Amino acid sequence: MELTAEQRAILEGARGPYLAQCLRWLVEWGEVMGARRLVRCDNTHVLLCVPNLVARGASARTLETFAEGLREACRHPVAPHCVATVHTLFVTLDSLQVPENNPDQVRVQREIADMAVRAGYLTTFTCAPYLVGNVPIKGEICAWTESSAVVYANSILGARTVRHGNESAIAASLLGVVPEFGVLLDENRRGTLRVEVRAELRHPTDWGALGYFTGKIAGLGIPVFDGVRRPSQDEAKQLCAALATSGGVSMFHIVGVTPEAPTLEAAFGGRTPRENVIFTEADLRVTYDSLRTATGDEVDAVIIGCPHASLREISRVARRLEGRRVAGGVRLWINAARATRCAADAMGLTAIIEAAGGRILCDTCPTNMRIPCRRLVTDGFKQAHYARGMTGAEVIVADTEACLRAAVTGRWTGDA
Amino acid sequence: MPEKLVLRARGVVKGRAEGYALVADATLSFWGEVDPVSGRVIGRGHPLEGQSLAGRVLVIRSTRGSSATPMVLNLAALEGVAPAAFVNVEVDSLAALGAIVNRIPMVTDLERDPFETIRTGDYVIVDASAGILEVRRDEPQDSGGG
Repeated sequence: MELTAEQRAILEGARGPYLAQCLRWLVEWGEVMGARRLVRCDNTHVLLCVPNLVARGASARTLETFAEGLREACRHPVAPHCVATVHTLFVTLDSLQVPENNPDQVRVQREIADMAVRAGYLTTFTCAPYLVGNVPIKGEICAWTESSAVVYANSILGARTVRHGNESAIAASLLGVVPEFGVLLDENRRGTLRVEVRAELRHPTDWGALGYFTGKIAGLGIPVFDGVRRPSQDEAKQLCAALATSGGVSMFHIVGVTPEAPTLEAAFGGRTPRENVIFTEADLRVTYDSLRTATGDEVDAVIIGCPHASLREISRVARRLEGRRVAGGVRLWINAARATRCAADAMGLTAIIEAAGGRILCDTCPTNMRIPCRRLVTDGFKQAHYARGMTGAEVIVADTEACLRAAVTGRWTGDA
Repeated sequence: MPEKLVLRARGVVKGRAEGYALVADATLSFWGEVDPVSGRVIGRGHPLEGQSLAGRVLVIRSTRGSSATPMVLNLAALEGVAPAAFVNVEVDSLAALGAIVNRIPMVTDLERDPFETIRTGDYVIVDASAGILEVRRDEPQDSGGG
């Protein structure tokens, strides 16, 4: 890889051993992925979370070594030109009386959060940074963790980021550069398969179904959706998350929506798609059924806000819950970034949701925390997919209205 | 005499490691499908469900999914239950990053179909720096990775 004299000096330790290691990670990673140079990066979204492995028997030494790695990262300032936001945690920094909000873990996480703020990170603690102020501009080169947010940045905003891991995103934050490969380059942003959408997409969760169906087929490819209307932001959020769950998709095109796809031809860059797929009403139903593993009707958890809920979603939930009560024995979680909840607090929405017996959970989500439940209803395909393995729950994925009905009645009574 | 097969491959992440092979023509997400404390695959219905990755040469199509892949690999490495090496058909950028950070050799583009050539329990020496894979059969079989 071509390096500047300054970059070679950093590798040799001119800015200390930690930055030398960070640059070595970026250079080695770039070489493996075929990058020929490092390019300037002004925008990162990093993971700074303390893992919740105490209950699962991890050694104290492992946890301390990992935490010390995070502390070391936060001892170095974010590059002055870089906006650096922070991904979700495995705990909430609010007071929450569940065993999964382990006090020792919360203490270490608070310490790292404080160090991160001093280093220049914006501690958003969210999987949807684009909802709370990190909205990159078309063409802006980013280094984002959180695969669903990566898909959103590339496909809806026209920014450019490959899927990053914690080490590469931290290195990019401190050094302000990333290796140039993958969807950072024009030739790797063209569509590879065409998905003709013949099903009617009625609400955000239907868009999640389209994403979950397509991700399985697309793998690491770039789907082009043809024949769909413009999604709302909440619908786009579900599509992005589901694509990155069942597949390794970094980007898609919607003709007329994705900044680089004014036409079908432009989306494919003049090439012929290697595959054509049709998404029918039957595919829509089958996709829902594939994530409905419940063997009974009784429900004990309802999760809304995967990825983190928007203010509009919280507002709709609050309107639906006004004057109603969540059924006994059911936990209703609405996951959101703290910034979004602050707005919901000021609007009186949090009070309505809490009066109904629900809770807005900040910084994390119940699956990340591994709060156990037996039978879960959620409006997010990503949440349903991961909850199965991570919490062992039976899952039902359904639109927000049906989720709230289940919360109030304590039973799954079907979609309509 | 054990049967021995030497194959060319493309080194992705340099280094040399050896261990008993764990083979599945499948993708695997380290996030949510691998427990970094036990090193076992916890993904429901995954072909490797219940198997331990600790010290194994992991022969799979590719890793998939989450940006937490390098973190899970890092925690597994700290717990001493990370795989010894990766033999992948497709290189997922997040597994490559995790392999670089944790010094786990990775190869791809094996000159033969890995799923027809390598069996679970074969003893495999991966020299990613030289681009060579040595497969030995009839060595004492691993009991299943416990």
